[in-house]
Amino acid sequence: MNNILCMKWGDKYDDSYVEKLKEQCEANCSVPFKFWCFTDKPEKDWHIPIPTTLDEFYDEDRGFFWAYRKCYMFRPDLISGDGKPFPDNSKFLFLDLDVIIHQDLKYFFDLPDRKPWIVRGWWNDIETVKRNYAKYVSTPLNSSVILWNKGQMMPVWDHIKEHAEVIFFTYPSLDNYFAHHWYNPWEEDNGFLRGFPQGDIYSWYKGNIFPDDMKKKKLRDDLMICLFNNSGYSEGDNDGEIKKLW
Amino acid sequence: MVDYIKFTPELANDWKSVQTSISHHHVSAHGWYYKHCAKRVEDASTHSQLESKLWIIEEVIKLNINIDRVAILAGWYANFIVPLLIDELGVSFIHNFEIDRDVQYLSYKFNNRYKSQSGMGLGKYKCDIVDVMFDPIGKYMKMGHPNFDLIINTSCEHMFPMRNFTKLNKGFLGNPLYVLQSTDEDKYDDHINCVSGPEDLIQQSDFTEVIYSGTKELNNGMKRFMVIGR
Repeated sequence: MNNILCMKWGDKYDDSYVEKLKEQCEANCSVPFKFWCFTDKPEKDWHIPIPTTLDEFYDEDRGFFWAYRKCYMFRPDLISGDGKPFPDNSKFLFLDLDVIIHQDLKYFFDLPDRKPWIVRGWWNDIETVKRNYAKYVSTPLNSSVILWNKGQMMPVWDHIKEHAEVIFFTYPSLDNYFAHHWYNPWEEDNGFLRGFPQGDIYSWYKGNIFPDDMKKKKLRDDLMICLFNNSGYSEGDNDGEIKKLW
Repeated sequence: MVDYIKFTPELANDWKSVQTSISHHHVSAHGWYYKHCAKRVEDASTHSQLESKLWIIEEVIKLNINIDRVAILAGWYANFIVPLLIDELGVSFIHNFEIDRDVQYLSYKFNNRYKSQSGMGLGKYKCDIVDVMFDPIGKYMKMGHPNFDLIINTSCEHMFPMRNFTKLNKGFLGNPLYVLQSTDEDKYDDHINCVSGPEDLIQQSDFTEVIYSGTKELNNGMKRFMVIGR
């Protein structure tokens, strides 16, 4: 069973982002799927309320690890919007709200599923990534698109639960946490997480592949997905540029 | 007083090999290259870096403490601290726990003269890739080897408060002495845990015994705090 998940909390994005993402998925996925939105304001039958168990660890003034709500998706006991647990054969494709889908999402559900997948920002210079590894900047990963099977991300959820105080204090972003604990920038095939292949997902603000295809603010509609998030932004920032391209 | 590092022929040779490793054309035996580390090596080799390590040695000597086995947390290339501990304090074994995989290779280059040669036991210097705020370092200690006498962390501003380290390693480490350094300089992104002064650092570490606490302004203008205790 294929599921496409998104998440909306607070005021960073208005409801039109969720509706637009749902519309894009329906227009660009040739295999059956269910669309779910984790939200702090559940109103529809495809809405799932966002839990609050990790809220106590989040320090709003510091703003570290602000995308932590995404971690709830990795719980093995995840309940769907209709109040039932997801079946054991469930596949999950998470998409951030600020993406443009160019191609058929079937591609993602057909990928080999031995490991979970995440965006490897191929626009990053790997030398910069390694040089800045201990400085908690220049992460090679981007959690705007994640693909996993039910239960596959349980070690991540367990690790976050066990070390929540340290993780929320240490990592400026979820992507940075992933890069430190579940990925290996030195041996990229050996991490728990695997990066989507080059040429699948690119960034509106950063480019596609370093160093050869780095033109910014260029649509590449032969690729799968365009990301609009900007790691320089923090919770609450959103320039709405994507709306001009919907 | 210790105000310099002993620039022996062996040290000169090891440091020269680091320069080779970070040069543009060099590829290591395991196929990695390190040219992107050149700036980091430069940053680890400054006046202030040496000052802060000399400060440790100076105070430990004044306190007349016998130190034989040392753990360094987030010790980076350990280029200054290792020769100082061995030459000035007669330390027999130093274990550096670092998160950066490039560091392991380059710190062995810096300290090659102390590294285990094949079939020659542990050597005097060892480096493992460990995030000390998540994994107990006791897991990396050889069975039957004595505990560390001293645990040095000159990177406290880069990590969660040290009370978590002691909690993680409870039952593994005996009752070692700690030397901790930090700063109140918060203009760097990776200074995620600045403190207001030595008292703050002591509090973060849950020390019940403090035998030294002080402040020093380093050559780069940064204020550095150091506490020694357990």
